[in-house]
Amino acid sequence: MADKKAKKNKAPKKQGDKFTRYLVIGMIAFIVIAGVGAALAKNHSNSHAALPALVTKADGYGISINPTAKVKVDMYEDFRCPNCRNFEAVNNTYVDGLVRAGKINAVYHPMSFIAPDSILTAAAAACAADQGKFLEMHTALYVNQPSSTQMAENSAYWTNAQLILLGHSVGITSKTFDTCITSGKYINWTRNIEADAAAKNINATPTVIVNGKTLPLATDYNAKLFTKVLTDLGVK
Amino acid sequence: MKNLFTAEIRGWLTLIGRLLLGGVLFAAGYLKAKNPAQATASVRVYKLLPVSVANIFGYVLPWLEIGLALLLIVGIWVRLSATLSGALMLLFVFAVGQAWARKLAINCGCFGNGGVTADGKVHGGVYLTEILRDIGLTIVAGYLYRFPHGKFGLDKESSESE
Repeated sequence: MADKKAKKNKAPKKQGDKFTRYLVIGMIAFIVIAGVGAALAKNHSNSHAALPALVTKADGYGISINPTAKVKVDMYEDFRCPNCRNFEAVNNTYVDGLVRAGKINAVYHPMSFIAPDSILTAAAAACAADQGKFLEMHTALYVNQPSSTQMAENSAYWTNAQLILLGHSVGITSKTFDTCITSGKYINWTRNIEADAAAKNINATPTVIVNGKTLPLATDYNAKLFTKVLTDLGVK
Repeated sequence: MKNLFTAEIRGWLTLIGRLLLGGVLFAAGYLKAKNPAQATASVRVYKLLPVSVANIFGYVLPWLEIGLALLLIVGIWVRLSATLSGALMLLFVFAVGQAWARKLAINCGCFGNGGVTADGKVHGGVYLTEILRDIGLTIVAGYLYRFPHGKFGLDKESSESE
């Protein structure tokens, strides 16, 4: 039995085997080269990308509110990241209040880091920024983030249609918002955010940086510690 | 004992080893290729390479893994791809080991989570699991280097020895 099989494997059709081998090798080489090429091409900062309101290249393409305020808080977040939701649950009311009162320069960097639909949520938040509703959309995306029982952290949850409805629910009425989302206007911008964050060695979300200094995660999740960082810098 | 370990059994073991190592590499590569932002971050966190080099490595690595995985699964250049896979595993062992020693959080890779939690504590178990898994896969790669000719492979003994 064993002998028969071994023989069958070895002997005939040498020519055909060789051809198949080269064909398969060629296909694998093609897959690898095309994959690397596409990855390198796609994940580059694109200077022609459409930029949403409040975005400047100097701020790492982040959505920057109150750029003249003295204390700058950079927030690298992903709307599909559960730890970012924790950060928001603890600090959102406080931070939003400071932003609305013009007391801090908040720079939001919505990353497309966790789930396949992260990129859609980031682009949708940018569309909301154009309508002057960034903070509202930002909050709504976290409040409505699927729990881990509803949806695994790294599978897609949001569709563009749902994001449009979410925008309407926070008071956006403009048709421009809808087309901004459906046309994927800011998808390329989200890649610029990613490329900039990668170059700045941002490796996790949330990453919160106050006046250039990265806060430890323990501070991010603790309202007392987080508030103290800002009050120590004169934010009241 | 020696009789049991015949060429026949060796052949099946080689097939199992190829599918195991190839399967793990394919899954790892696929998950990373799907999310390049995460893939580059998961190279950066080891703090072994300058950021710009780490980012390029992060784009190349998943496709390298997929390529090796496909070669192993179809059984072409098994000895070569097993050697490269084993080297890759040893590189991972080194990277995780030094991250452990330096207490670096490595929680954005695709397999396994953490190392360091929010409170700054180091959990050795996370690093250890990764190291043991990669050492296990290195052993599989070693077996494939020794016995590259298995069942259902496109490599034939003649072509391997050329």
